[in-house]
Amino acid sequence: MGIFQHKQDPKKSPSDSLLPEEAHIFDEYFREELRNHGRWYFEKVINENGELFKRDLEQTIAAVNADLKEHVTKQLDGAIAQVNQELKEHTAKQLQDQFDEYSKTLKDAQEQALKSMTESTETLKQQHDELRSALQKNVKDQQDLLHNAFEDNKTQIASMKEAQDAALKWLNQSAQALNDQYQNINTTLQKNVAAQEEMLVSSFQSNMAAIVEHYLLGALGDQFDLKAQLPAIIKQMEENKQAIADDMKL
Amino acid sequence: MSNAEIKNYTEFVLPSSIVSKADVSRLVREFEAVDNALTTKKVKNKAGVESADAPAMSPQLQAFLEANTVDLENTGARSAYVKQLRLLKDKVRVMNMTFAVITDPESLQELIVWVRESVHPQTVIEAHLQPALVAGVYLRSQNHVFDLSVRNALKAKRGELEKELGALRGSK
Repeated sequence: MGIFQHKQDPKKSPSDSLLPEEAHIFDEYFREELRNHGRWYFEKVINENGELFKRDLEQTIAAVNADLKEHVTKQLDGAIAQVNQELKEHTAKQLQDQFDEYSKTLKDAQEQALKSMTESTETLKQQHDELRSALQKNVKDQQDLLHNAFEDNKTQIASMKEAQDAALKWLNQSAQALNDQYQNINTTLQKNVAAQEEMLVSSFQSNMAAIVEHYLLGALGDQFDLKAQLPAIIKQMEENKQAIADDMKL
Repeated sequence: MSNAEIKNYTEFVLPSSIVSKADVSRLVREFEAVDNALTTKKVKNKAGVESADAPAMSPQLQAFLEANTVDLENTGARSAYVKQLRLLKDKVRVMNMTFAVITDPESLQELIVWVRESVHPQTVIEAHLQPALVAGVYLRSQNHVFDLSVRNALKAKRGELEKELGALRGSK
């Protein structure tokens, strides 16, 4: 290191080479001063060199960081490009495999469907033939049946017409009877209404008489004591005197 | 007084203060009590024992004694009267009369006087109350009923009232 280039040999003290006169000047105090001065100078040099070293170190670290970033970016780009390439290849391969498998399955399914359709067509054709035969037979049976039914219905319609005529005649007779009954009921009802009216009026008169009587009873109730009634009582008893006397003498 | 002079119960004159059969029963009991008291007094007098004065008598008994001139000094006559009074109590005629209002003694006495004069001398009245009669009397004798009440009169004339109402309706 540069700062230690001028370091003297520690085994040989400066005072060792001094003369006694000089030694008197360079006494202990002076040496202490020199040591202090040397220490101060040493610290100063150390600080300055530390600052220089720190600055160099920071620049170096900055340069290293820049280089490292550039290097890492370059490495990552390369790796990403490689991964993308591999992924593309892998995906393409997978898709191709699946496409191949789907194509095979689809082809099998188409063949199976075609086979089934062919069989169904044959079956349908056979059924169609059977149905056509059955239908022809049914149509013939239905024609016979309808012919018979038509003949039967013709007979029944004739008999129904006769029945309708009879029913119409009976209805006319019933309507006439109902009309007669209505007339009778109307007459009876009018008579009953008149009788009810008369009965109600009679009942009203009877009730009114009871009301008047009740009113008189209430009005006359406590009007007379026995002393006031006595002449009338004796008068009435006088009128029945003979009957009372005959009964009491028995 | 001999037994021949004793009145029969049918000849008794009942005063107007004796109205009901309860009054007759009370009269009999009181007469018996007086008879016992007078007999006791007579026995004590014979024995020389001082006895109380004559027994007290109710106004009804006094009126009966006066009306029938009863001699209380005769012991035999008293006994005969006791018998006749007991017979009277059993044989007395009862007339049930129902009134519309509460009766008062004066009216009943007036009524019993008329009954005894006009109907039978040994008659009593049993009075009852029935306000529904309005006025008048509902009389029940031995075997008959005489409804002399206003209620019966109105009931009897209900037909006339209905006739009048019908006429009124016809005129309107």
